[in-house]
Amino acid sequence: MEIELEQGWEIIERGITRLKNILEGLPEPKFSSANYMELYTTVHTMCTQKAPHDYSQQLYDRYRESIEDYINSMVLPSLREKHDEFLPRELVKRWANHKVLVRWLSHIFHYLDREFIPRRSLLPLREVGFICFRNLVYHAFYRDLRVSVLSLIDQEREGEEIDRALLKNVVDIFVEIGTGQMDYYVHDFEAAMLRATVAYYSGKASNWIQEDSCPDYLLKVEECLRSEKDRVSRYLHPSSEPKLLEKVQNELLSVHGIQLLTKEHSGFHVLLRDDQVDDLSRMFRLFSRLPHRLQLVSNMFWQHVTDEFPGLVQRAKDAARNNTVFDMENEIGLLEVKYQAYVNGCFENHTLFQEALETAIRLGTFTFYVLIDCDVNMVITTDVKLSAEM
Amino acid sequence: MRKEDTVKLISAEGFEFVISKEAAMVSQTIRNMLTSPGSFAEAQHGEVTFPEISTTILEKICQYFHWSLQYASGKETEFPIEPELTLELMMAANYLHT
Repeated sequence: MEIELEQGWEIIERGITRLKNILEGLPEPKFSSANYMELYTTVHTMCTQKAPHDYSQQLYDRYRESIEDYINSMVLPSLREKHDEFLPRELVKRWANHKVLVRWLSHIFHYLDREFIPRRSLLPLREVGFICFRNLVYHAFYRDLRVSVLSLIDQEREGEEIDRALLKNVVDIFVEIGTGQMDYYVHDFEAAMLRATVAYYSGKASNWIQEDSCPDYLLKVEECLRSEKDRVSRYLHPSSEPKLLEKVQNELLSVHGIQLLTKEHSGFHVLLRDDQVDDLSRMFRLFSRLPHRLQLVSNMFWQHVTDEFPGLVQRAKDAARNNTVFDMENEIGLLEVKYQAYVNGCFENHTLFQEALETAIRLGTFTFYVLIDCDVNMVITTDVKLSAEM
Repeated sequence: MRKEDTVKLISAEGFEFVISKEAAMVSQTIRNMLTSPGSFAEAQHGEVTFPEISTTILEKICQYFHWSLQYASGKETEFPIEPELTLELMMAANYLHT
């Protein structure tokens, strides 16, 4: 029994209207499986009839038009009257509805996906449905969405309570609207999010570097990195994590690195002098993510060890004058042991620091002998294998 | 078998076949319908009417569903089709996306 185009479409359109009403929350009797099968069957029949009564093309076009019509007549008007935080909420709801609508319709029109669409290399039903939303809704409102998300993120950074579920739903739109591509998320959202992050932490770093001691600053950095990592897991896409952390590290550690390490009363030399093991370990952990900056730290370590030797020289000269024993090799050995402990403990046996230590000891020992005058009577207890090492 | 795990397929003549949901979902069409979100499944007690499929064909289809599940789990037997049913069976299979 053949179905004419308009005859069949009337049946289908009636069903689609019922679905739309259900989505709008209007009172409608439940959609039964008989209703579903009627629509599916109508589509199936209209697509399997012999030409010129094969209406696949018309059904494909009207599927899309149906969705566009719904968006234009119901979705866009409702969005246009929402402002401030009500807009993202409504958008999230409309997107969820849209996905349901596309699912229903693509099941009803499913027969097109099996034959007509692959044969003509057309876009599948689901993708057509998503693209309608993208073209008509997303493009109109994504900037507003972005503004509200970035604002919420900054509020949360300042310690305010925010609606994280809403935030996640909005970010998910940026991901899902790409139908498998991350382009929209990256260009329309992530780029701006990273810029905003840089601006935020640049401001904070400028304040903290003036006000805080080195250990306190480091604690804040550690906390910021932990908190941003947490943020990604809660409502951003995982691919943002390395980019986000890199920006934060750069603003907090790279930019002010030297100023931080050389802080007069709390910088690296002070921490090492005062045996502040926890702070040194934290410093290493944080700077080890930035290879160039880590070199700064190992250089300062080298400097610190080297600076111990003039003191040794002085003690050796004093001992000679007072005719007391000065066990040079033992003293240097003690020095080496002392600082080796830092290499093992705080600096995780990192080669930069191990090499810094060894070079410093070698150079220091050599300098030690150069500085000791030959005419001072010194008691040297054991042989020094210095020449072999040089 | 619990009622929630079954569906009822009804032929053109009103004959009712009660089979497991798992078997019925060998048909992509039935699977789509049963997994559509929203107001479908709760309202019905898993009943689907096929006014265009005769009892004989529908019965054969149900047999096919069960045979298909068995074949997938390793029991590789033959599925006999009476020649006079072939055309109708193929049309129904196309319709049901099986």
